[in-house]
Amino acid sequence: METIIIGLSIASILFLVALGLAIIYGAMKIINLAHGEMVMIGAYVTVLATKHLGANLYLCIPIAFIVTAAIGYGLEVIIVRRLYGRLLDTLLATWGVSLILQQLIRIHLGLGLFDIHIDGLGSDLQNVQVPELLRQTLTLGDANIPVYRAFVFIVAILLGCITWWLVYRTHFGAQLRAVSVARGIASCCGINEKRINSLAFAYGSGLAGIAGVMVSGFKTVSPDMGTPYVIDAFLVVVAGGVGHLFGTVASAGILGELQSYVSSILNDVYGRTAVFATVIAVLLWKPQGLFVIRSR
Amino acid sequence: MLDVKNLHAYYDSSHILHGIDLEIRQGEIFCLLGRNGVGKTTFLKSLLGLTVRTEGTVQFDGREIADLDTYERARLGIAYVPQGREIVPGLTVLENIRLGCFARRDRKVTIPEYIWSMFPFLREHLNRRGTNLSGGQQQQLAIARALASEPTVLLMDEPTEGIQPNVVQEIERTIVRLNREFGLTIILVEQKVQFARTSCHRFAFIEKGQIAAAGAAADLSDTLLHRYMAV
Repeated sequence: METIIIGLSIASILFLVALGLAIIYGAMKIINLAHGEMVMIGAYVTVLATKHLGANLYLCIPIAFIVTAAIGYGLEVIIVRRLYGRLLDTLLATWGVSLILQQLIRIHLGLGLFDIHIDGLGSDLQNVQVPELLRQTLTLGDANIPVYRAFVFIVAILLGCITWWLVYRTHFGAQLRAVSVARGIASCCGINEKRINSLAFAYGSGLAGIAGVMVSGFKTVSPDMGTPYVIDAFLVVVAGGVGHLFGTVASAGILGELQSYVSSILNDVYGRTAVFATVIAVLLWKPQGLFVIRSR
Repeated sequence: MLDVKNLHAYYDSSHILHGIDLEIRQGEIFCLLGRNGVGKTTFLKSLLGLTVRTEGTVQFDGREIADLDTYERARLGIAYVPQGREIVPGLTVLENIRLGCFARRDRKVTIPEYIWSMFPFLREHLNRRGTNLSGGQQQQLAIARALASEPTVLLMDEPTEGIQPNVVQEIERTIVRLNREFGLTIILVEQKVQFARTSCHRFAFIEKGQIAAAGAAADLSDTLLHRYMAV
């Protein structure tokens, strides 16, 4: 039972990160290698806000969303927009951005050069204080469920529902879907595709930022913490079927549970191995992922 | 209302349109004729700023639009019914029609009532995927989508190509009605000479990316047709 809940929380984080990555890929057909850094920044926003503003973890969720969404928006307008249709160049450029963002945290946003140090930044590890309520464990039968892990799961479900509503039930969502599959005709219908792209990039980044807040509650925060997440999220998106919301949910669930389960009976290394082996097997069996969108 | 001067268009390095001069008047159906591959579709795309690089001037109601983005031109009132219809996959019939509304100048997402009376069957299939409709229905959906923006000029690229004959007549009647009853200006790329003859006010033949001949509907002679359309 405990393993399942921990697995669900890992899956939830994967899902949030992968969802953002998938939305960005869907709209712009680019892969954002700086996506993991949005997780990292979300975590650092939590560190800074709890240390300096006295904010609690709940309040950090909207703050981190706004900060990372703004960074994502800026990234799209300043860099990504100029590289549409050049997949390799966007890979390189966003990877470069990810390195810059990591180093910015290490050098205290550049202030370190002037010997000004901000408590909470720099290359050392940081910890976040979790509110009292979330530190408890619930006893259900003979299982002890950490409340925080359940909280992560609920947040992910809520955000998944909000995203579904946004994509399938709003005018913005219809525009986003039109831009994703029929760029030319969308602009003939008066849709400003650049604006839609920027907003999609911002929203996807914001989701990763919230994932970062969640992660900061049970893992130490460090400048290079984002890298594994972008890789995992990638695996989730590819294994689930690119551009398929339900596929992303299912594959995040499967991979998260798998990692948690194998890790608990063997160790983390085997957990990772099982994840990679599964993804390889899925892609050999179904090269387009578990779920495929039929375009007709 | 549309004034095109010395328009050149390029796909990458290939030069498709070589200096087109054309004036489209308010309230007319203007028919563009010519063989396949002479640049008719490219001309329409140039008016929209879609995927082609252009030089020259395009004035719409006295305003220079050649430097505007496609979505800005759409919001000025230029609507497009593309060849092959291009219904957006994954979207329902209703969502497809609503797409057109995003080009409305008042920014309201309301579908004009006359669209339903013109294409009553669409109302019965609102929640179906647009791409699940038959070819003829998709064509009507594409027209409905274009009309939802309440445009002042409609660009249509071979609207009856590959559609079963009884629906062809229906679509042709719709096009004429839109023009005669609603006063909509229409630029029509057409291969069906008979329909061009009966519907259009003026015409032009394109040949090798240039205007080869132009005139009023009455001047659309067999000699011209033979010279510029015969294969």
